[in-house]
Amino acid sequence: MQSKQRGWGPGNGSLRSTHSGEHMTISPGRSARMTFTASARRVLAVSAGKAARTGIRRLGRGNGTAIPGLLTMAIDPSVLAGLIAEIPRGCVLVTGSNGKGTTCRLLAQVMRDAGLRPVLNTEGSNQRSGLATTMVAHSAVTGHLRRDAQSIGLFEVDEGSLPEIVRHVGNPSAVVITNIFRDQLDRYFEPAYIKALLERTLRRLPADTTLVLNADDPRVANLASDLRNPRLYFGMEDTELGRDGADPTSDFPRCPRCRSELVYSCVFYAHLGHWACTSCGLTRPEPQVKISKIELVGPSSTRLQVVTEAADTVLELPLPGLYNAYNALAAVAAATQSQLPDRCVSAIERVTAGSYRMERIEVAGHEVYLALAKNANGYTEVLRAVLGDRQPKRMLLGLNDNPGKQPDTSWIWDVDFDGLTGLVPAPVLAGNRAADLAVRLKYAGWLGAGDDPQVVIEPDPVRAFQAALAATPAGQPLWVVSTSVVLYALRRWLRQQGYVRELWQEQRQLERARRRRKVGASR
Amino acid sequence: MTGMSLRLGCLYPEIMSTYGDRGNVETVLRRCEWRGIRVAVTELRLGDRVRPEELDLIMIGGGGESQQRLVASDLWKVKGAGIRDAVAQGAAALAVGGGYELFGRFCQAGEGAELRGVGVFDSWTIRKGAASGDQYRTLEDERADRAIGELVVRWEGTLLVGFENHSGGTYLGATARPLGQVLAGHGNNGDGTEGIILGGAIGTNLRGPCLPKNPALADYLIGAALRRRLGETVLTPLEDGLEQAAHAVAVQRARSARRAERARLARTVLRYPGRGSRMSTTLRRGHSRPSVRR
Repeated sequence: MQSKQRGWGPGNGSLRSTHSGEHMTISPGRSARMTFTASARRVLAVSAGKAARTGIRRLGRGNGTAIPGLLTMAIDPSVLAGLIAEIPRGCVLVTGSNGKGTTCRLLAQVMRDAGLRPVLNTEGSNQRSGLATTMVAHSAVTGHLRRDAQSIGLFEVDEGSLPEIVRHVGNPSAVVITNIFRDQLDRYFEPAYIKALLERTLRRLPADTTLVLNADDPRVANLASDLRNPRLYFGMEDTELGRDGADPTSDFPRCPRCRSELVYSCVFYAHLGHWACTSCGLTRPEPQVKISKIELVGPSSTRLQVVTEAADTVLELPLPGLYNAYNALAAVAAATQSQLPDRCVSAIERVTAGSYRMERIEVAGHEVYLALAKNANGYTEVLRAVLGDRQPKRMLLGLNDNPGKQPDTSWIWDVDFDGLTGLVPAPVLAGNRAADLAVRLKYAGWLGAGDDPQVVIEPDPVRAFQAALAATPAGQPLWVVSTSVVLYALRRWLRQQGYVRELWQEQRQLERARRRRKVGASR
Repeated sequence: MTGMSLRLGCLYPEIMSTYGDRGNVETVLRRCEWRGIRVAVTELRLGDRVRPEELDLIMIGGGGESQQRLVASDLWKVKGAGIRDAVAQGAAALAVGGGYELFGRFCQAGEGAELRGVGVFDSWTIRKGAASGDQYRTLEDERADRAIGELVVRWEGTLLVGFENHSGGTYLGATARPLGQVLAGHGNNGDGTEGIILGGAIGTNLRGPCLPKNPALADYLIGAALRRRLGETVLTPLEDGLEQAAHAVAVQRARSARRAERARLARTVLRYPGRGSRMSTTLRRGHSRPSVRR
């Protein structure tokens, strides 16, 4: 019943929450002055944020996704909660180790087809400050959100920041959790910490927030299982692409209830699959939204048959790999939870790759694909998606440590290079830890062990890229798979050379086109 | 070197293997393969017994507290005697991170009862959070109490490089010998020592994983393992250009981290002169993170 009330069907705009004003009223005598001070502060905070955002962009100092938000929140910490509460159709949070950005991107496309206008933070800033920047960008100088009855919040949230974000987003209609992998051990330690953190956070949610969970991830499926919140599970049913035995990149989670060893009748990748505990009898929950058939159509697309309780749709997902099939599945599940019309799901077919997510760029007659890989499972799945057809390909691989953010690079030893040997002739390695990557590849059997290891080590991202491009035979694509620092530097250079445009410039152009259409329609 | 063989026992490969610890096993396997030394690997899981006479090298990786709790009782009840006998008979061993902590006498956990160790090493581990008795509330709290960063250690005239990420302080008994001296990082407990060495058995906080980038240490372990049955053996030198390059990068990263830390300290000292004395003491002791709370 709850979800019906929250539905995104046409004409249901009654979701405006009222808790934005709760901190303002203290006593009737003072309330007017307090409200005035509070709103003046908010106007100041929002204007300062907007000014900072414009300033940063004008100066060409990146897209400024964090600083404006930080500034705004410093002036008025209540801004974020206030603005989010003003979104007429409530909001959906997407979190997890991998795939949250792409899931948001896919879901946003479905929402747009359903006539909604999602407020998104998909470009990298998934912590509190980034969310604040997004909200500031969508509000007017009055300190309030621009009026739009069809707008809905769709936020990608860093799994470590979820507790903090949930404090500001008091009442999300759904929380989508994609997966929990070993990620950034230097920041989050072991997955158990993240699991416990998410569990504590879910307990603070209102009882009507739907939890959209990956049934195939034993860490996610059983999160806060005693809660009475509605739960919607998504999972892979087609066992065709299951692996023979365990995946070497798995970290073998134990039974979430009794800590015994889990058995799998089918493993898709890492620890995702059809799991069961023989000791306490806990099993993978039956998913309500599932992929009944999957076919990897090569290194750039996937064919999926997605079954929900009401519909059965075949989708041509223009993104490669099993991990993207899971992202599409999560997006469809979230759309189902929100009662978007089933026909809109096909909007997924028109999605373009997000920046750094197998982003395709044309450079000097070569197709270049940029893929960001931040942890062992991400790196492995990107490599498997690219090299899955077992055709040799030219690649530039990057590895950087990132002091203060990700200083530890030991996770490359958990990447399954060993299963993909002999497919990348003379790889070019970039980043300040390129030498570490070279050692890893040598021990994985990618390089010759003798005096001539057949590898190019060039820490500088741009020079490495030029070397890799020069070594790529005419007409063949070059695949760049790397951690963030190398990719950001490379993309900055590609922008300076005019091969790509900044993300926010593209967004702005989209925005302008939309406004033009709107004006045209109203005439 | 043909005809040589080495018997390797991997303890809890699925549970005790965070931070790419399988890279240590892979390094031993490859460096033996390149020399024509056959390696027979035995995976020792929960419930499996250790036959000391059948192992030349024992390896255990790291793991967080939940993993340690999972294996601790099996380690000392089922395997303890076997492991201690093997080391006493001259088998080599490499225990890293959480495994190093469990190879000591005991290991105080952040919550719950302390874990009994195998007692291979005369050492014990006290976890910082244990004193307050409660669970960490936020990741920031937890992070503040951990030693996280590059770790460089002087060992037998060479440098060992790696990464450390641990909240426990490991203390050595009177007769124990540390593996080496900390040049950058935290090490055992901030007293300037890192790891422990007992014949061919080594315990260390070095991650990264430690063997690929420290081929000298890898060969030391292989040599010690072979020596057990074959007596003195000379290992064929290998081409280690890539390994040395990665080693050099790690040393240089640690240096620049140290420089940045010093600069930060200098600024703090100039700004708040009162705090200077305490901070410079921690720096002298070899801490790279004065923010580590007591």
